[in-house]
Amino acid sequence: MRKVYKVTTETGDEYVLTYSIDGEYLKFETLSGVYRARILQKGTRDNEFLIEINGEVHRVFIENFNQIIVNNEILRISNIQEKYEEKEVSLQELISSKKGEIISPIYGRIVSLRVKEGDAVVKGQPLLSIESMKSETIISSPISGVIQKILVRVGQSVKKGDILLIIK
Amino acid sequence: MPPFNKILIANRGEIAIRIMRAVKEMGMKAVAVYSDADKNSLHVKYADEAYYIGPSPALESYLNIQRIIDAAERAHADAVHPGYGFLSENAEFAEAVEKAGMTFIGPPSYVMRKIKSKLEGKMIAKNAGVPVSPGSDGPVESVDDAIKIAEKIGFPIMIKASYGGGGIGIIKVENVEELKEAFERSRRLALQAFGKSEIYIEKMAVKPRHIEAQLIGDKYGNYVVAYERECTIQRRNQKLIEEAPSPILDNEKRKELIEASIRFGKAIGYYTLGTMEFVYSEVSREFYFLEINKRLQVEHGITELITGIDLVKLQIKLAAGEYLPYSQEDIKIRGHAIEFRINAEDPLNNFAGSSGYITYYKEPSGPGIRVDSGVDLGSYVPPYYDSMISKLMVYGKDRATAIQIARRALDEYKISGIKTIIPLYKLIINDKDFIEGKFTTNYISEKMPVFLEELKKREEMKVISYLVLYSQSQIKLSFHKEVKSSYRNVDRMSAWKRQGLVMQSTTRVMW
Repeated sequence: MRKVYKVTTETGDEYVLTYSIDGEYLKFETLSGVYRARILQKGTRDNEFLIEINGEVHRVFIENFNQIIVNNEILRISNIQEKYEEKEVSLQELISSKKGEIISPIYGRIVSLRVKEGDAVVKGQPLLSIESMKSETIISSPISGVIQKILVRVGQSVKKGDILLIIK
Repeated sequence: MPPFNKILIANRGEIAIRIMRAVKEMGMKAVAVYSDADKNSLHVKYADEAYYIGPSPALESYLNIQRIIDAAERAHADAVHPGYGFLSENAEFAEAVEKAGMTFIGPPSYVMRKIKSKLEGKMIAKNAGVPVSPGSDGPVESVDDAIKIAEKIGFPIMIKASYGGGGIGIIKVENVEELKEAFERSRRLALQAFGKSEIYIEKMAVKPRHIEAQLIGDKYGNYVVAYERECTIQRRNQKLIEEAPSPILDNEKRKELIEASIRFGKAIGYYTLGTMEFVYSEVSREFYFLEINKRLQVEHGITELITGIDLVKLQIKLAAGEYLPYSQEDIKIRGHAIEFRINAEDPLNNFAGSSGYITYYKEPSGPGIRVDSGVDLGSYVPPYYDSMISKLMVYGKDRATAIQIARRALDEYKISGIKTIIPLYKLIINDKDFIEGKFTTNYISEKMPVFLEELKKREEMKVISYLVLYSQSQIKLSFHKEVKSSYRNVDRMSAWKRQGLVMQSTTRVMW
């Protein structure tokens, strides 16, 4: 049975992956591809592991119990949700279940709303702009549909991860 | 004898600290100002004294002239250093400082008024025989005028905020449709960031590179140019990587650049530091004046590395009325320096700003490395201000050596809690075109699709590595929970240990 991991990094990125055992490898699947990975061996230093991912060997260090350094970059994870799949669902479906919710990617202030409730939007159409650190980020619609609800107004501050509006 | 007793630095972050370092070395006292968002910031702790100047939004604090003057008077400062950005090029601020009986470290207000905006600077350059690029000869007030001018000079064009800086309010426009859309947006951004919505239009050069000259002058009409910096690697007209000297400029062109810059300085009686920004086309081997930055430049450090001049100390001395201690022949280029702006931005998300607490911080060090940083472990990066948190500079005997050092330095630099563009720099520094010095200001936008794919792959690899260890029980996320359960036995622990555990079990682990 496959397991589904939902990983949230400290900086708020979400990754949905499926996990299963494939011989001596652990098989992870993301939207961009399949990774066959395993711990090759423990390293020669404390908290060092040699991890093989798709044939490439990476030196991974565990730092302060719950963070890792890999390829000279630090990764801190804030949450991992795991569950066994009841029935086989495609990754696409797992990720897109909440696709109509438009989430703020940054901390900032809403400077303009270009749509109103009930408007029909097409994929790629600009929905609203958020200003942060003196630059404006335009949020475009990832799907085509109808604006069901707008949860923010101009001038309001939003956090990363806040739901801005819902498209049906 | 130091030229002043006490200098107030009307800025924040890394540049405030950079200036304070010079102030302290010269035997003077450094005064910081801070907003609500910055009350625990590094520049506030580093100063000898610090004064609160208002709420977090810049308009109510770092852009509020009266509050800064009040703070300077309370501190009995005898000079004010504006840094870059904020009020650094604001003539009213310079005048308010002068009226309060203090010295403004920069050009005097009457000189600033001659070049209040980028646009006025352009006109002065034209009259001084410095080449300028075609565009609107004045501010553009309406979309219709904008379209007329654009059609006359031909697309693509740039819309620029007359009072702008740091690339804010500059929008590249390819056609009439985009122009209509961008016109109001540019005015709104300009008003928000600089308090004035005036914009103008300029033609875009072919295969442009951005090269600037460091102009230095005293009150008595003496000038030198501490050579050039190349700042071609930009995104959204904001510089990311700068280097000195330029990898493509020959001595003949270098001489032209120096002479044009000095002519400009003399035309308006400019003194202290100024940066003459030019666009240079490798195709036509011509350069056009863009604007003069009437302040200490973000990337001043790389000029310091190759010339051995401390520009901040020199700027303070020149503002105090000292003579320029060098002639042009005394200044030599030695080696090559590259600067990487460490911005709290997510390259995978269109460089959106990333604010938050820094939960992991390791700075590079060792031979050939200089880091001018405004943050440390536990620092808060607020969403209200510029996203640049630090500058990594590397210095080697030539460009190839500098690049080798940069690779190591970028690997050493580790930051968590916020996103930075360090992962992108690691790709650029290994890119063949960058290594060979073949790039234009479009470098980032052209290469980004390839870089994005690689960055995404690397991010996923990191998560997979974590999950491999996690699924094999080598690493536990439940660390926080374990701490909490042992926290129940607190009565049997010493208060120190209890405090330590409480600190560790909160989500923001350190500080």
